[in-house]
Amino acid sequence: MTPKPPKGHFNVLYFASAGSYTTKNVEALPAPLPLRKLFDTLEERYKGIRASVLNHSLVTINLAYVDVPDGEQQDGEAAEQEIIIQEGDEVAIIPPVSSG
Amino acid sequence: MASQDQINPSSAPDEPETFLQQEGCYVALTTSPLNLQSVTDRVRSPQAGAIVLFAGTTRDNFAGQPVKQLEYTAYEPLALRTMMTIASSLRAKHDLRGLAMVHRLGVVPIGEESILIAVSAPHRQAAWRAGEEALEECKERVEVWKKEEFAHGGGVWRANRDGKRGQREGESREGGEGVGKGDGNGSSEGQGTEVDGQT
Repeated sequence: MTPKPPKGHFNVLYFASAGSYTTKNVEALPAPLPLRKLFDTLEERYKGIRASVLNHSLVTINLAYVDVPDGEQQDGEAAEQEIIIQEGDEVAIIPPVSSG
Repeated sequence: MASQDQINPSSAPDEPETFLQQEGCYVALTTSPLNLQSVTDRVRSPQAGAIVLFAGTTRDNFAGQPVKQLEYTAYEPLALRTMMTIASSLRAKHDLRGLAMVHRLGVVPIGEESILIAVSAPHRQAAWRAGEEALEECKERVEVWKKEEFAHGGGVWRANRDGKRGQREGESREGGEGVGKGDGNGSSEGQGTEVDGQT
């Protein structure tokens, strides 16, 4: 369904309000990318998306929910455990759900 | 996921249904109209004394504003996983014989079923309880989104509740109705997150 990202890239999927804001369902971004830089990267491309969408969305990487840290550089232990989005990963922006 | 899981990612074009199945639990997503009989038959068991069936249908208004149609979209592999997690945990908790949950995707015309949940249990009390819990957990967690298209134009993505999955802390908005309503139909709970198509 979702096309495989080109070499050196990962896919980010935009659902619901994220898709409306970006007018895309999916796009490929350059990898690797530290997870803490994801929202900055998207904000650069889609001005205002952080306040409108990202701040009340969750994020998954390869179908697992992850905590998105603040954009500030971390040090010591935190830096060693930092999540890096890798080539070929599937990232998704998950706005508040509304099934039923 | 357990090894006995089955999945059919490449389903036939006339029956576009993806599902997971495991130990008395069946969860599915489909763009076809839902069938009450078939979801009931999925949980039928000689050990069951009760089958409770819930059908959520799409309503023609949101707070009095006429709704032309509803359209559902999903992160399908994740939604199926979450549905199966809910189903298998409720099956264990309430000692169910079976639990089936099917959500329709794409455009669902007003008045049609958008979700069916069938639960079978030895006794009715457990089936009632599990059926309600299954719906509430589904509405809270399953990665499916509903867009209401209004009769006067424009559309809005609904959010079932605030402060939970899909909503980060510190960003809660007023007005979310939260869980506990239990009518489960297409446009009752929650509030809109974003208006589009208004130009």
